[in-house]
Amino acid sequence: MKTTHLIIGAGPAGMAAIDTIREFGDTSPITLVSSETPYSRMVLPYFMDGTIPEQNVFTATDDYLRERNVEPILGRTVTSLDPGGKAVCDDGTEIEFDDALIATGSSASRPPIPGIDGESVFNLWTLDDARAVLAQKGGEIAVIGAGFIAFTCLDALIRLGARVTLVEVEDRILPRMIDEHGASLVRSFLESKGVSFRVGAQVSSIEDAGGRKEINFADGDVLEADVVITATGISPNLGLVDGSGIETDFGILVDDHMRTNAGNVFAAGDIAQGPVIGSDRKEVHAIQPTALEHGRIAGANMAGGDAAYWGSLLMNVVDVQKLQIASFGDWLGEGAEVRTVENDSRPVYRKLIFQGEVLTGAVFLGRPDDVALLNDMGMTKGLIQTGLHLGEWRKYLDRYPLDIRRPYVASKAAEKLLEMQLLNKPSIPRGYRQPDPDPKYWEYHDVFVSTITEGE
Amino acid sequence: MKQLVIHPERCTGCMQCELACSFVQTGTFQPSVSVIKVHVFDEQASMAPYTCFQCEEAWCMTACPVNAITIDNVIGAKVVLSEVCVGCKLCTIACPFGTIFYNPESNKAFKCNLCGGDPACAHACPTAAIEYEDSETKDWVGPWAERLNESFLTALAGEPS
Ligand SMILES: Cc1cc2nc3c(=O)[nH]c(=O)nc-3n(C[C@H](O)[C@H](O)[C@H](O)COP(=O)(O)OP(=O)(O)OC[C@H]3O[C@@H](n4cnc5c(N)ncnc54)[C@H](O)[C@@H]3O)c2cc1C
Repeated sequence: MKTTHLIIGAGPAGMAAIDTIREFGDTSPITLVSSETPYSRMVLPYFMDGTIPEQNVFTATDDYLRERNVEPILGRTVTSLDPGGKAVCDDGTEIEFDDALIATGSSASRPPIPGIDGESVFNLWTLDDARAVLAQKGGEIAVIGAGFIAFTCLDALIRLGARVTLVEVEDRILPRMIDEHGASLVRSFLESKGVSFRVGAQVSSIEDAGGRKEINFADGDVLEADVVITATGISPNLGLVDGSGIETDFGILVDDHMRTNAGNVFAAGDIAQGPVIGSDRKEVHAIQPTALEHGRIAGANMAGGDAAYWGSLLMNVVDVQKLQIASFGDWLGEGAEVRTVENDSRPVYRKLIFQGEVLTGAVFLGRPDDVALLNDMGMTKGLIQTGLHLGEWRKYLDRYPLDIRRPYVASKAAEKLLEMQLLNKPSIPRGYRQPDPDPKYWEYHDVFVSTITEGE
Repeated sequence: MKQLVIHPERCTGCMQCELACSFVQTGTFQPSVSVIKVHVFDEQASMAPYTCFQCEEAWCMTACPVNAITIDNVIGAKVVLSEVCVGCKLCTIACPFGTIFYNPESNKAFKCNLCGGDPACAHACPTAAIEYEDSETKDWVGPWAERLNESFLTALAGEPS
């Protein structure tokens, strides 16, 4: 078959590209090939914990796609790609294209531990994984890997009625999200909530033992559990570009237009290694906001536009047992100037990282109801993103690290940010939305205004 | 399009906007959850309200994994559709203006929705420091604050740190 635009992968990056191609008025045929149906992985924890029904994880329906002149080929995997204009699927289907977007994301990867592929050992990366874990009945769950993904699902596991032990090979939790001190605060908080930890723990094998699982550690220790979940990292789905001549490093290398070295082939999302704010190195961030920005840039350019990307900013936020953890940019702050503050009566912690007069990273920790301590996260992101020189305000933040607002306003960050438009035009609502949105979002207001009017 | 136009020089710091806003947005008189914030520039005995610019990029809307943020057709505000929002907080870290927040009680994001076209903050402001009128969007407070703060920073620079 023949198509104009071939989109490979129906995750957020691929779907954002499709919507953007249409937003730019390009009505030519699109073919979407994806191993899985379109859904958002990051919404899985909210399905698992019962916030939303399963159907709400989907980001398109068949009708939605066909109405937009998109031919969906779902449940099929592209196995090879010739930048000359041909892709081959696992069932032998050949698709000829003018241009293609590789948005194949990543897969959960497991360390080579004997027994790790045995029964009752699950990943937490796909909808099928989430369904499989939900079909388990609580009990004791051991999660191998105490990183961001494990944390996104922790509350859901606890709500399933499970007692959870987090097992981490490094000597601290969240090694790729927050600094060591922050991580230690998170750990003691979670311990007080009944979560157990084994850090610096090298798993040597996983065995079956009378209907349960036994995790054996290199130091001879044993941990028993009913279910084992692995959250030990991800690896990009690069298989299809093997031998295609498309340049890869950790991911597929792209320029600021999301183009690979093959001019008519683009890459976006977790698979793409692209520009980063404040750095010359290209990186894979493997986060949702980057996937969406990549997808929008790629879509605009595939539709004949000229959209250049300003680069991604690393950022993550997660809530566990009513403790909110967030980090931005260079949160590690190695070799940088650092200002930290914390509260010794409850888990509240903030770390600001500076290079000279520029804020380059931050860590936030606090209870969601500590609103005043968390509600300047966005401004912090704005300062990191714009890389504004804070001048004397840098010194002010050393003295008043909780008062981001004043330096933000006074350095006119908003003026600079109001000029930024990713696609050089105002954004419009796009993409599929689950039916039944709430039409009465200003209900309270009617009450309030009528009160005022009466008083006038 | 009508915007919230801020006149920082008229603000007296009475905080009525924050009270009115928090009541409309959350049903409680609680300035900490107001989506308009009065900034204090104390060395100059000045204050200035700050809220969502309804910016054209709409970072919150474009970052949302479930498209729970949309544009109100009539008033142009970017609004959170509570039924769709899953409470993931991605918008609160994506918005570089710091003007969308998470409410732990409802487990939803919330932001300035221009109160459906009749903003409570503008109603409540006794000195017309907040007006709702046809205007372009701009950084109302930044240039003003930058000017005012020169003396403050000079004072700060002189202090031992
Ligand atoms: C549980 C969980 C929680 C998360 N929470 C957050 C969070 O809070 N914040 C955040 O920023 N990020 C989060 N993430 C990460 C985020 O989901 C990813 O960064 C994002 O999904 C990447 O989007 P993508 O489109 O690049 O790839 P994916 O979403 O991985 O989509 C890729 C698609 O391509 C398909 N595919 C793969 N190979 C092929 C092939 N050869 N041919 C055809 N189709 C193929 C896949 O089946 C899939 O449908 C979370 C992820 C998980 C699993």
